[in-house]
Amino acid sequence: MAVRGTDYVLKRLFFALITVFVAVTINFVLFRMLPGSAVANLARVPHASPALKAELTREFGLDKPMWQQYVIYLGQLAHLHMGVSWVSDSHQPVWHYLRGKLANTIPMAALGTAVAIVIGIASGVLSAWRRGSKSDHVSTNIAIAFYAVPTQWLALMLLILFAGVLPANGMHDPFAVGASGWASFVDTMKHMILPSTAFALTLYGEYTLIVRSSMLETLGEDYVLTARAKGLSSWAVVRTHAARNAMLPTTTLIALSLGYIVAGAILIETVFTWPGIGLATYQAVVSQDYPVLQGTFLILTISVVFFNLLADLLYYKLDPRISA
Amino acid sequence: MRKVLVGAALALALVTAACGGDGGSSSTTGVGGSGGPVKEGGTLRVAAYDGIDSMNPFIGVNDDSYATYEHIYPQLVQYDANQDFAPDFATSWSHSKDGTTWTFKTQPNALWSDGKPLTAADAAFTINTMIKFQDTVTAGSAGSIARMTSAKAVDDTTLDISFSAPEAAVLGNVQQISILPEHVWAQYAAGDGKALKTFANTPSNDSPVVSGGPFMVTQYDETGTTIYEKNPNWYGTAPHIDRMGLEYFSNEDAEVTALKTNQIDAIESVPPPSVKTLQDANMTVKIGPSLTYRTFIINSSPYKKTNLELQDPEVRKAFEYAIDRQSIITTAWLSYAQAGTTIVPPGSGSWFDSSIQPLPFSIDQANTILDGLNYMPGADGIRVANGHPMTYQVLFPGSERGAGDRAFQIIQAGFQQIGVKLIQKPVTGAYSIMTAPDNKYENWDLAMWSWTPPIDPDFILSAMTCQSLGNWSDSGYCKPAFDKLYAQQGKAVDATDRHDLVNQAQQMVFDDRPYIVLNYNDTINAWSGNFTGYVESSQGFFGALTKASLIEVHLA
Amino acid sequence: MKITAEPGVVPDLDRPRGRGGLLWDTIRRQKAASVGAAIIFTFLILAVFAPLLAPSGPRTQVGPVYGPLSAQHWLGLDDGGIDMVSLLFYGARISMIVGAAAALVATVIGGLIGITAGYVGGRVDGFLMRVTDYFLVIPDLVLMIVIAAIWGPALTHIILVIGLLLWTSTARIVRAQVMSVRERVYVKRARSLGCSHLRIVFRHVLPQIAPLLIANVVLTVAVAIFDETALAFLGLSDPTAISWGTIIEHGFLRQAVSYGAWWAIVPPGICVALLIMGCYLFGQAIEDALNPRLKVAHLSIKGFKVRPADGGKP
Repeated sequence: MAVRGTDYVLKRLFFALITVFVAVTINFVLFRMLPGSAVANLARVPHASPALKAELTREFGLDKPMWQQYVIYLGQLAHLHMGVSWVSDSHQPVWHYLRGKLANTIPMAALGTAVAIVIGIASGVLSAWRRGSKSDHVSTNIAIAFYAVPTQWLALMLLILFAGVLPANGMHDPFAVGASGWASFVDTMKHMILPSTAFALTLYGEYTLIVRSSMLETLGEDYVLTARAKGLSSWAVVRTHAARNAMLPTTTLIALSLGYIVAGAILIETVFTWPGIGLATYQAVVSQDYPVLQGTFLILTISVVFFNLLADLLYYKLDPRISA
Repeated sequence: MRKVLVGAALALALVTAACGGDGGSSSTTGVGGSGGPVKEGGTLRVAAYDGIDSMNPFIGVNDDSYATYEHIYPQLVQYDANQDFAPDFATSWSHSKDGTTWTFKTQPNALWSDGKPLTAADAAFTINTMIKFQDTVTAGSAGSIARMTSAKAVDDTTLDISFSAPEAAVLGNVQQISILPEHVWAQYAAGDGKALKTFANTPSNDSPVVSGGPFMVTQYDETGTTIYEKNPNWYGTAPHIDRMGLEYFSNEDAEVTALKTNQIDAIESVPPPSVKTLQDANMTVKIGPSLTYRTFIINSSPYKKTNLELQDPEVRKAFEYAIDRQSIITTAWLSYAQAGTTIVPPGSGSWFDSSIQPLPFSIDQANTILDGLNYMPGADGIRVANGHPMTYQVLFPGSERGAGDRAFQIIQAGFQQIGVKLIQKPVTGAYSIMTAPDNKYENWDLAMWSWTPPIDPDFILSAMTCQSLGNWSDSGYCKPAFDKLYAQQGKAVDATDRHDLVNQAQQMVFDDRPYIVLNYNDTINAWSGNFTGYVESSQGFFGALTKASLIEVHLA
Repeated sequence: MKITAEPGVVPDLDRPRGRGGLLWDTIRRQKAASVGAAIIFTFLILAVFAPLLAPSGPRTQVGPVYGPLSAQHWLGLDDGGIDMVSLLFYGARISMIVGAAAALVATVIGGLIGITAGYVGGRVDGFLMRVTDYFLVIPDLVLMIVIAAIWGPALTHIILVIGLLLWTSTARIVRAQVMSVRERVYVKRARSLGCSHLRIVFRHVLPQIAPLLIANVVLTVAVAIFDETALAFLGLSDPTAISWGTIIEHGFLRQAVSYGAWWAIVPPGICVALLIMGCYLFGQAIEDALNPRLKVAHLSIKGFKVRPADGGKP
């Protein structure tokens, strides 16, 4: 069966590549759909002499036919050249600019997501096990409520409640000059509390609902009935059979919620001025810096595709029906 | 969203320029220094207004960027508290009889932060580079070298600048030029100069940006904190503080909380709704005139072919009568603004013509005018002019959101009472929409936007000339009589003559109404009791007009 | 979430019975469904009759900026001195219109793709599902932000942007349903009688999948409303249209928090959350009613409720 396994992995890889290609193409098409003259947008300086306009047109290859622009664009992407920011940071290459931002986002988002996963799995499993009980009702309804609340609003509520108690701006205290490694680590963790909590709260509700229903579906399977018939206690059934099997769809679903995580990053980082890729996206929107906007879209899409691929491979590892 | 560049496309105007005592006199009073023993040291923590978009003066357009250049680079002159010119890198200046050559004596024995000599040659290099590439790379700063033909370092402490004609606005213009270290920048200015825009000019480990001002930037982070350390090599009075940190906030509520909870010491620009909160928390809130104002624009392009009733001065007058400025000021700006009139704002000091009065809010007067023109209302209450209903779209750039939305709603309600229907049309890339097609400004009627011009009126007047179509103009205004006035004031080396001409020009624009200036915004700054000695300007305590504030501020 | 583990299996109701019947049954029998329906209905009433119910107009200044709560203005005034209660009523209109219109766009696109793929099958199916898969993975709110930033802020743009990116889950569900319905006896019979494909789809297939489609529409409405508030927060919605999203945005832009005017920012968020909860409870209950697997659980005491969202958050 090894061949089938390799086949599966290759298929998933191919799929991931094609998805990235689709995103890259969407990216190109959108970029050419800018309102107004592309050059006027590029220049951003109204005092653009004809010479400057011609210069920019050449620089960005806008004088070439569309297909040729597309080829140039693909070629540049292959070298991680996403264009040059029109606004930010001294025209530095977009990729270079965004790489640092991404590194800031990952720990904060990862912490929030991890907390959400732990709480979500715990409350989801308990809810399913105690289905129909009062605690199930309460836990499910709270989960639905957090699922329904707008992310940016939740973040603002945290700000109203905790600003002044906890740091609500940036990643660390910029003026803690000469702080030791440990002290600055603690400082960063403190700054991370509010944004990560916002992340955890918006995600946990959804995870609870997903885990609960996966569990419920599993509990309806025949092998659960068999296990019960063998006289196992209900907790033992939950632990040994249902929870493990329910983890499969849960893995996929959490991987797929990545699309939401990156969107959440934009909103949450804007509220808490977390200097990550989400805040960069927001700034690009505000200052109409299209190359950066396109860059963030690409990077966010590629990370989502990547984690999806990871989930697929994990699935392959976990699911006996594929790997066996 | 305040981080939006003020009048996005127009933001380059944020650099500030001259006013007051022009002419060949030299002044000797420095701006820095203060009497009495003061506490030295400390880190001043400031919340950024809009962030530093670039450390490269040929790229940056934000207010904070200009303020940064002011403090890390020498300028020939600066403004003092009365908005008169004071020495900076230039210790004195004079001009030739015909006014076409200006000579600046510069600081002797000055050094850059890296220890290399800072001389008149650096100033000549900077100006000549800007002149050389003014059609391409340095187009953004072309205003400050207007009509300059060349600069020459006669010796280490003497700089000559030549002009194509007698020039009046020299000091205002050179105040906007940040002198760059030739030994760092010369390599980028070679060839076609394109490399000038690729240089990040950011600090790296242990190597601050090579600076010639009172501070040097040792750490730069656009969405984080930028650190300004005292520059030991500076030629002027040393600042009292050791360093300043400029922290970026994307959420103004968080900024206000940070000041109240002592996480920062000062806020550069306080949003009006937060003023009371800060006052209640015993923070010092300083309110004064700024250079920013909001405009209601009536497309005045001579090429315009539709809705020509809008070109009628009487209709424009009726429009102004229908605008309730007082409501706009109280609702949109919570009273932190003044009624607007002319395009030269009160922050420009004596250049502002205070004799011009706004038309009072009067629906009756407006209706009388429109009735008199026989634009009678149709069945739906909308007046009909030249066979079509008086319904117009108002272009609305993203930078005006928030308070501008409120202002629009008030204007819209007023216009409804005079039978004119306004539709708010939010746009991105407003500038390219306005100038289309081919810089003829044909496709729109009305708009709302804002200006933050320099102190010297030369720039904002130039934006109203026919030459500005396709450049700075956002109104399409073009009138030969005005162009003549503009040219005359530019050559009027005598201050009284120039004032008179500038006033005439202001009056002409006010009467023709390409803009109805809605209001002048106040500049609002706030600080806690940790530091004292801030010096206010029309750009607040951290701006591009003077270095004095950060030199004098000190621990309380 | 926009993905379900597997679309629920259509209950084998071989003879088409009254579809309203199933909806009605679900509402009557399940508390969650009735609560959800009640919430949606209440907001619908408020939205439709806003001009009659609202104390004042949505643009009428009735007092000072951020006027506090009073007997006259239960939820105080916003940054333009406008009555918050009135704003919430009128805001419900735009929010629900955006939600419904975007869901409609998404459902039409997703429905067409799903029906085509499921009914035609073969290569067409393979191709369409591939395309769906690609779109499923691309983070749609981020793409929405990019497109909205480029198109510029207008209500129609927002509706189209949201609608054009939310169709994927609908397409998948519809496809699965159509495939199972296609094999039913009466559909085969109809085909052998020479009915046209279009007629079969409209007469036999659509009615069968209608309840699930309705559940999906309701869930998509929730996502669309959610997305609109996010776009509005980033300044990408239409500032001339008063929606709950733009009310929150105004509160944020104009420092309601530091002014202490919580009433300008808290209520619209609660309204959004309530309506989304309503849609979720209602849509989910219908889906559950259609999913027989959930009716059996070898551990539980009662049989009931909640499956993961098909049309949940992106």
